[in-house]
Amino acid sequence: MRINIWNAHAPEAELAIYGSGPESVWQSPWIWFHVSRCERCRMRAREYAEDRKYLRHAAELLPTGVNWERLSSEMTANIRVGLAAGECVTPHPARRAPGFRSFGDSWRVAAACAGFAVLMAAAWWLNTPAPRTESLSRAVKAIASRTFMGGDPGGGGLGGGLLRWDEARSMVHASAQGIELVENGSSLGISATGVSQSDARPVAVTLSVQGSARAHYVDADTGQITITSVYAQ
Amino acid sequence: MRSSLKIFAALALGGASFAQSPFGMPQQNLAHRIILPHDSPVTLSSDQWDGSAAAARGGAYAIDLRVALTLRNSSKRRIRGITLSVLAQEAVPGGKGSISVPSLDVAPGETFPVRGALRLIRPIGDSGSPMVEVAIDGILFDDLTFYGPDRLHSRRTMMVWELEARRDRQYLKALLDQEGPERLKKEMLAGISRDSSRPRFGVQVIHGHPTNTEPDREIQVAFLQMPESPLEPMGGTAHMAGNEAEAPRLVVHNRSPRVVRSFEIGWVVRDQQGREFLAASMPSEMRLPAGSSSQIFEKDAALRFDSRTAVDSMTGYITSVEFSDGQFWIPSRATLEESALRNVVGSSPEQQRLNQIYLKRGVSGLVEELKKF
Repeated sequence: MRINIWNAHAPEAELAIYGSGPESVWQSPWIWFHVSRCERCRMRAREYAEDRKYLRHAAELLPTGVNWERLSSEMTANIRVGLAAGECVTPHPARRAPGFRSFGDSWRVAAACAGFAVLMAAAWWLNTPAPRTESLSRAVKAIASRTFMGGDPGGGGLGGGLLRWDEARSMVHASAQGIELVENGSSLGISATGVSQSDARPVAVTLSVQGSARAHYVDADTGQITITSVYAQ
Repeated sequence: MRSSLKIFAALALGGASFAQSPFGMPQQNLAHRIILPHDSPVTLSSDQWDGSAAAARGGAYAIDLRVALTLRNSSKRRIRGITLSVLAQEAVPGGKGSISVPSLDVAPGETFPVRGALRLIRPIGDSGSPMVEVAIDGILFDDLTFYGPDRLHSRRTMMVWELEARRDRQYLKALLDQEGPERLKKEMLAGISRDSSRPRFGVQVIHGHPTNTEPDREIQVAFLQMPESPLEPMGGTAHMAGNEAEAPRLVVHNRSPRVVRSFEIGWVVRDQQGREFLAASMPSEMRLPAGSSSQIFEKDAALRFDSRTAVDSMTGYITSVEFSDGQFWIPSRATLEESALRNVVGSSPEQQRLNQIYLKRGVSGLVEELKKF
């Protein structure tokens, strides 16, 4: 490095090295010549010499046998943890993709979402049979109860034994319109609308708690009785 | 019987023709067969399957079965009733059904029709086309002998129907003989009026795990006392959870000198508006020696009523008892007429048949029909 020893000050790095040992004078004679003539650089060289003395004294205070590599790794890790914690607590604007507009930017987005929700609700109401809706409602309630009461789906339940599971139950349903089989949770793909029997209106329907149902039909001409049964078990 | 099956017809196979189902799914014709053993008391004269079809719904075929069979009585006894099993799949719920025709009077050599419509389920499997099998489950003769494998317990059911038919005909004949056609006419009109005005409520029988709701309360089940009944109900309870009655439990005592093989209890529900209706029956098979008592507990069964029905109380009554010697007991017509069951319990199949004959042919036609027996 070429320096102007008459007008310019010596570089900081050269001043730090200057005076670190007797050999430094021979390695940088022009620095020595400049420092002998420049008051500012002489003071800087003196400050560096005092810093070296302080560091040597501080090093003597450290315990013996310090693993410097491990200490360096731990310090680096602590610094990263600190930086990450700072990221968490520091408020900053949300990252946005280029061209992204927030919900507050436009009422159109909210209106579109509301319209979509109405459409989905109407589609559900028009297409989903009531029993399936009830079944889904029961399942949601069961899950909610399990969450809040700490129950388990195995059947015994916790929370005072209040929760029990009713999915995959087979049902036969009798009404004035006839009988039908309902199978919730079935892998057969049978919808909750079930499998109703016949289009005619029965004169009587009967149920058995063992899981079967009968519908009585009368032939209008002959009076012959036909009884059809369906078995859920 | 099983070793020498005579198998009729495997007629229509799927894939050849398709139609559109009401669900918008393509329908295909139904492969089917009728199984009659070589010693069967009936033979097949004709069969029609018009309108039968199957449509794929999810992982299963929804089978719409419409069958009209003409069977001939090839035995030497008069046939009083028949039950045909209709099997699409044994293992799955809804894969099995039956068609019963009670109150028959088919002489040897005569033919009689059996018509029925059923909707069944059959999982889509390796066999390709959907198939149903129609077979005899039981035939009851006028001497109360029975033929058939009885896999669906049709013997017990048809015996009760036949005994009820004899009881009701005898009751109406007595009215006719003692008080004349006008009294018979009055009785028929009253019965028809009761049947048409009897309230019907939506009830579901749930079989499986108990419900997911908390049992609200335990209700005591009252029992209708019938002094003539060989069984005496001693008490019973059921859990109410919302609009469900679960896990009925009751104790019965055999006060007859005979061993009981099976019995059936009817459950009458009264709602908080005072309306009563027959909700379900509970058949039970157990050996009950004379003078002994036993507990019946259906822990996995529940009755679910529609949301408008608030159950106030439940009453049970013995509807039939089968003894170990194969004989049966049913309540007498007088007991039913005098008890509160008159407006609750539906008419027997024979009474329904006679009601229709009266409506179609008048009192003279009914008298003519009663004289046949």
